[in-house]
Order: sequence, then C-alpha cells, then structure tokens
Amino acid sequence: MQIHIRYMAALRDRLGDGETAHDLPADITDSEALIAHLTRSDAEAAALAAPEIRLIRNDRIVTRPSALADGDRLAFCPPFTGG
Amino acid sequence: MPLAIQVSAEPIAAAERLSALTGQSPHDGAVASFVGQVRADGDLVALELEHYPGVTEAALGALREQAIARWSLSQAIIHHRVGRMEIGETIVLVAASAPHRRAALEAVSFLIDRLKTEAPFWKCVHTASGRHWVEARDSDTAASQYWRDQIAQEDA
Repeated sequence: MQIHIRYMAALRDRLGDGETAHDLPADITDSEALIAHLTRSDAEAAALAAPEIRLIRNDRIVTRPSALADGDRLAFCPPFTGG
Repeated sequence: MPLAIQVSAEPIAAAERLSALTGQSPHDGAVASFVGQVRADGDLVALELEHYPGVTEAALGALREQAIARWSLSQAIIHHRVGRMEIGETIVLVAASAPHRRAALEAVSFLIDRLKTEAPFWKCVHTASGRHWVEARDSDTAASQYWRDQIAQEDA
C-alpha cells in the first residue's frame, strides 16, 4: 500500500516539507499502525504519536484511529490554533 | 449580502462587512459580532496564519450550518484571514443575525470557540529573532468542548 504523507505547521518544521510517498508493509491498515511504523524509522517522528495530533485524510478531517487505503493522502496536523 | 465563509490573505474590512449585515431582515432584532485582532504580545512583530485550503472552508461551513440550525439565525458570516499580519490587524470576523439577542450572542460565542479547535488553522509568531508556532491552549480546548457537550446534551 502506498500513502502520500505531508506534515503541517510545526510538524513540517521537524519532519520535512512537501508530500512524500511511503510504501507500507501489508500489515499497516490504519493510522495508529502507520504512526508506530513512522516512529520506528525516525526518532523525530515520535511527536506524531501524541493523542492531540489530528489527521486530514483525502481532504477530510478524520478521527483517530482512521482506516487507510492505497493511494490515500494523509496530512498530520498539530492541534489547530486559529481564531 | 457578504460572502458567508471567506478565508483570504486580504485584510478584513470588519466595519464594512458588519454594516452589510445590519438592517437586512425586518424580523431580526439583533446582530452580534466578534472581531479577533493581532495583539502586541511579548516580542511579537507579526503573526502568520497557515491553513489547509479547502478543508478549512468546509470546516467553517459546517460550523456555520450548525449555528444557523441551532439558533435559527437568518444570517451568519465567518471571515478569517491567513498569511502574515501586523499588530492590530483583524484576524477573524464572526457575526450572526437573529430575531433576539441571546441567539445572536450565543451563536457568535459558539462559532469563535469552535473554530479555534475545529478548523485547520495554525498561528506562527514572528519576532525580531525568529519565529515559533503557537501552542494550543487548554482554555480554548475547554471552551470548544463546552459547546460540544451542550449540543450532545440537546441531541440526547
């Protein structure tokens, strides 16, 4: 399964800009397994495990855990701070 | 009538937009509004707002629909600026028009409290020496949760 990942705001500063395609092992089928996978491969990614991190999947805000499907575009978001 | 939802890097002319909302409906006795502006805070020289285009407008639109339904508003607008802004500039304008004041005031309170935690905006503070991202405040989370609980109680 391939997922396109991007990081927003403070997470982008820590984890990189732009959208990156990730080829994932078959046993990763939801957001929490993906986070565990990313955390294993990059110590900086530990921030993604925080429960307050929000997800936008294919341009929709989703709750965690969220199912993932091949070709998904996933944005990891720090807590929102508008207004 | 002004656009209901607007997210733009252009300055918000809050007074003009409010005046476009007033006197529109003969059945409305109240127009309430909130204007959020950049505060001189510590060594802040400018504020920068990032957002997620498309998702932001959808989130604001959903909150607006909830407010209209719950408080029977005749009009509601949410205008939010993005990009870089200076001290004193308007960040956000929320306004609601209704037959009575309580509905208009509560709806505005709901909209600003909820949009802070439910629409994908992020604030970055620029100072003379660099920049840093604003952390979410527990008080904002609590204010948003208050309305969530209110609506859950009503729907139960």
